[in-house]
Amino acid sequence: MKISVRTRGESFEFDCAAGEKILHAGLRAGIGLPYECGSGTCGTCKAEVGKGEIDEGWLDAPGRAYVKSEKSEFLMCQATALGDCTIGVRANVARLAGDIPVPEAMTGRITKVEGLTHDVCRVAITIDGPVSFNAGQFMLVGTAAVEGRRAYSMADYRTSTDRLAFVIKQVPEGGFTDWLFAEDRTGAELSLFGPLGVATYAPSLPNDLVCIAGGSGLAPMLSILDHAIEAGHFEAYEGDLFFGVRTERDIYLLDHLKAYAGRDPERLRVTVVLSDAAPTAELVAAHPGLRFDEGFVHEAAMRRMTGRWDGVMAYLAGPPPMVDATLRALVMEARLTPSAIRYDKFS
Amino acid sequence: MSWQRVCAVDDVDEEELHEFEIGDITILVANAGGEFFAYPPFCPHQETPLSLGMIDGDTLTCIKHLWQWNMKTGDMRENAESPLLLYEVKVEDGAVLVNLEKELRYDYQ
Repeated sequence: MKISVRTRGESFEFDCAAGEKILHAGLRAGIGLPYECGSGTCGTCKAEVGKGEIDEGWLDAPGRAYVKSEKSEFLMCQATALGDCTIGVRANVARLAGDIPVPEAMTGRITKVEGLTHDVCRVAITIDGPVSFNAGQFMLVGTAAVEGRRAYSMADYRTSTDRLAFVIKQVPEGGFTDWLFAEDRTGAELSLFGPLGVATYAPSLPNDLVCIAGGSGLAPMLSILDHAIEAGHFEAYEGDLFFGVRTERDIYLLDHLKAYAGRDPERLRVTVVLSDAAPTAELVAAHPGLRFDEGFVHEAAMRRMTGRWDGVMAYLAGPPPMVDATLRALVMEARLTPSAIRYDKFS
Repeated sequence: MSWQRVCAVDDVDEEELHEFEIGDITILVANAGGEFFAYPPFCPHQETPLSLGMIDGDTLTCIKHLWQWNMKTGDMRENAESPLLLYEVKVEDGAVLVNLEKELRYDYQ
């Protein structure tokens, strides 16, 4: 099927397979259609249908709050085409260019599930062909057993790889995570689409890096820091990782964090921040390379970065309230310009 | 002209944004250093409430994608792809008055 899309500037045309999400078909064709979460929540991929018929897909998608049916609007990340269609997108759209990888659909198999805490695991997946992604990007991941796909950031960095790793937190009433945590899913087949997301690192960045993560938002920071270390970034620049969780039992990958901090503790600093209880003396004593703090992760970042915000590129990821509080602090307290803040808005 | 009283000057603290309902119309009033401005309640990009925005000097920033505008003129600053619409405002006898001749709306509304 042919999709013709009018945007604020150019018009584009692309092919869309039966059952394929219109957003995926456009991105796969190298057209930079607007999206953020890719999974029905943010509303950013809203479009309007002119000629032709579509199936809107998931009618309870939270992002549909932004959709006006009387204007024939729909979410491109959920809808499929039932024939040739003409659609309109109220955004400036360009072809994907430069170092932005063109996303694609792929199949993978779970090779290992490793429990990290009581509700977080690391899932290793082997996919059916090599993929390249930028550090900080994510994939949409789904199983035939559960409708829809969820967005998970790659938790390490490799170039042209058939092995991906994700950090996945069990969420209440989360269809996909209920399925994943119910039993040993090693060997299970997954469908993936990606890589997606703009909160990325490139070795050419002339910046100190500040990574602020809440909970499973640590995953993209691991990818960013792994790539930055491999690229020698911290020979010229400094880095700070702030990792916020509720309590000591929610901390994960401590050895990985200690390895970061052990490289050059004056150039790459790692601070673990507990919001619900002060770090115990035992915890602090057991991990001399790490710094510990108490409170919300953005508050700790503000305290410890005072006077050091010049020339910084800030990355943030985590639960939506944590992301909003951190954005507010970065703009109003750290006084960073928007171009010095990278994040993917999921809500 | 249809000037309507929207609120008292004391209803919106400095560097704050507050929504008010005038009939069917929602107005967002901002106090930037003692000067008052009024806008439609949403970001020109998507339906994100601008009441969640941030005021720093004469810059207004939306919390969602950090679009920024000169809040006195509506002109785009960093990130923004559309200007901000402004109502005419005047302050009289401790009240903020807005010219509501016509509701201002963005193209997605």
